[in-house]
Amino acid sequence: MRILCLLKLVPDVDQLEYDRERNVLIRENVRLVLNPEDATAAATALGIKRDAPDSTIEAVSMAPRGAMPHLEDLVRRGFDHATLISDPRYAGSDTWATSRVLARTLETRDFDCVFCGTHTLDGGTGQVPAQVAEALGLPVMVGISTLVELDPRAGQAVVDVDGETALMRFSVALPAVLGFQYDPARKLPPIRYEDLNREVSGQITVLGNNELGMDESELGLKGSLTQVRRVGVDGREAKEPVLLRDDQEGLDKVYRWLDQKGFLER
Amino acid sequence: MKRVLVTIDEEAVEDSIELLEVGRLIYGEQGFLSYALAAGGRYGEAGKLYDYLIRVKNGPLPNYDAATIARCIESLHRIYCFDAIVVPATHWGRMIAPRAAMRLRAGLVADVTGVGTDGDQVWMVRPAFSGRVLATIVCRGVGPVMMSVRPGVFSYSGPVKSAELIEVDGQDFKTPGVRLIERREKPVARDIRESQVLISGGGGAMRDFDLLERLAEALNGMVAASRKVVDMGGAPRAIQVGQSGKIVSPRLYIAIGISGSSPHVAGIRNAEYLIAVNSNRHAPICSLADIVVEGDGRTFVEGLLERIEAANTATRGGEG
Repeated sequence: MRILCLLKLVPDVDQLEYDRERNVLIRENVRLVLNPEDATAAATALGIKRDAPDSTIEAVSMAPRGAMPHLEDLVRRGFDHATLISDPRYAGSDTWATSRVLARTLETRDFDCVFCGTHTLDGGTGQVPAQVAEALGLPVMVGISTLVELDPRAGQAVVDVDGETALMRFSVALPAVLGFQYDPARKLPPIRYEDLNREVSGQITVLGNNELGMDESELGLKGSLTQVRRVGVDGREAKEPVLLRDDQEGLDKVYRWLDQKGFLER
Repeated sequence: MKRVLVTIDEEAVEDSIELLEVGRLIYGEQGFLSYALAAGGRYGEAGKLYDYLIRVKNGPLPNYDAATIARCIESLHRIYCFDAIVVPATHWGRMIAPRAAMRLRAGLVADVTGVGTDGDQVWMVRPAFSGRVLATIVCRGVGPVMMSVRPGVFSYSGPVKSAELIEVDGQDFKTPGVRLIERREKPVARDIRESQVLISGGGGAMRDFDLLERLAEALNGMVAASRKVVDMGGAPRAIQVGQSGKIVSPRLYIAIGISGSSPHVAGIRNAEYLIAVNSNRHAPICSLADIVVEGDGRTFVEGLLERIEAANTATRGGEG
């Protein structure tokens, strides 16, 4: 079994602070973390490797060079190989441009299945899994809560999807792109003590556009089909709220306020 | 005359139809012809609101078959040259729109919450970084403007029309790959988006949902939850509010034990009134609130319930 995991490193959203005076998000010095749903995908792949040790699993991430320690970590946790796709020319790529770079990389690999997360915390468009699948002509399924079966010999994966109105089970023909839903129960295993400082550079490949050879006019900001014009603070303006406590006086005030606004009419 | 295609998700027919409003906001009531694609067979009232209704013979094309529907959209675009393609950002629309955009080499903007024009250029607004910021985005290139829009963001009311029927042959697009084995409907609950009052619990109210339910009942509302609670198994995903849950616009939203540092804020932008109950009055959500109650969520709910119940008893006593 050969599994590729598409993984994204995202700024730790909970750490992001907003500079209200300059009206910008402070992104400097914010820690990168593995996107939580991608971590679920990676943990699922590691689980398969644990149960079937002849499987090979590879992590693929498009990120700045600074992401290298994260990829080294993934190898120390049990990935056979990690590929960092990194080139300043890729900076600012939208999902269309990003998906094409990822698809080009995947074209050079033999695989039975591609794992990824369904959404990311930062951009949060959730478009890349389906766009990579379309670029490669593969089926896609996202929002997977459970991988029931992955059988390359039968040429199918069976997955459970927790949808908006129903729970569904699908058969997806392999190779396919499978997007997982966050599952806190499936965590990345810790790095074993003896592996903490293991030399892993031999298991990591760095690819740039010299290797991938994409047309430069289709890369980065200028090669993207969407362009961010402005970024602003959330539309709901900050207010000066009425500040109360959970004591008798506060509760009385909330009660009267609800009454005045008509929320207590039966 | 501009042309706008809206795809109808058979599991969210009414919400899909409302996306006609996007066309109206961009091109004006008289400025465009509207096309509804009913790939899954169901189209509700679309026949009375759209100019054209596209049905699939030898179908239906099920909504989970994103590759097939993307090919259908591409083929329609080759005939009608749409200026904009709008897809509901449902579970399925989120797979269909990217595949279609890739085939059409079109820029695609996800989860759009606002649209408008600047001269000839269409701009779209979407929340990013878990709703912390709003990004204004434009499409480039020769393709149509494409966007996915969350249900509940726009609503349309316009003149009654009688849609002209267009038929395409589903056999032309069928792509093998995804097969439904089993489907179990979730119990049909009232949709939190329909409630005028939402009592929403976060990590700080994890163990108090029974109480929240009582308060919701007393205020004729419904209980909602933050992503944290849902991820920890404390509430079903159907009642999750926020960018990865539902966008709600109630008259009153009471956030109990929700910090607002989660993707939450994106989902409550349209709430008319916001009460935040939090042990930390500097929690991000408090800066958006009309009333901040600093303290314990349980004490707050119990105290409020006491007052409401006492008043109800008094009223009944008076009448008797």
